[in-house]
Amino acid sequence: MNRKIVCFAGLKKFFGDETSVEVASGESYAGLLEQLGELNPEAKEVLASCRIAVNEEFVPLNDTIKDQTTLFLIPPSSGG
Amino acid sequence: MKHIQNTAINYSDLFDDFRHPQSGAVVLFSGEVRDNNRGRAVTHLEYEAYEPMANKMIGEILEEAKSRFNLNQAACVHRVGRVEISGCAVVVITGSGHRKEAYEANRYIIDRVKNEVPIWKHEFFADGTSEWGQNCDCVTDDNHHHHHHHNYERAE
Repeated sequence: MNRKIVCFAGLKKFFGDETSVEVASGESYAGLLEQLGELNPEAKEVLASCRIAVNEEFVPLNDTIKDQTTLFLIPPSSGG
Repeated sequence: MKHIQNTAINYSDLFDDFRHPQSGAVVLFSGEVRDNNRGRAVTHLEYEAYEPMANKMIGEILEEAKSRFNLNQAACVHRVGRVEISGCAVVVITGSGHRKEAYEANRYIIDRVKNEVPIWKHEFFADGTSEWGQNCDCVTDDNHHHHHHHNYERAE
């Protein structure tokens, strides 16, 4: 299935405001990050410290991707 | 959004609204835009947030701080959009019976907001370049967050 991914801050340079990726059944969030790194190797370093949010909650990266909702790719915070 | 705003933060007004008959101590922290960072001249900053989640997380951090430090009140507002030099990027106000809790809680809140909440700083330099911000300095402090430092330059 095709999943929509929303990007923020420095990630937009690599993937735009949003992108979509074909996710295989049983794929984990960590696997998705890896897949994004293959699509754009320059993004690998920041992807390694990204978190993923679904429905405004962070998800454990080892979990299997389950529902159909949009994924939000969250790079390291730099507020304040 | 209560904790995220795209207009100037008027912390004097926030402070005035903060009186509480049981608070003997009120601490206000304002994070302001410096004209330099790591030896480079900065012209201004722009903040971006994943707003609904940032708003929710700041609310939760404040609630946790209130019970943990026995505060009477706690407030935090963070800017998004362009903030000029000496502009307020984030404000944290804490009130408690005595000063120890108000100071400690204030520090606890700002450290967690900087480390955990999905808000990002885009720094614009005098030489015309810009960079997305690095993680906050508090990682080297006495708390133990495990975040990586990152610095990815803008393509243009």
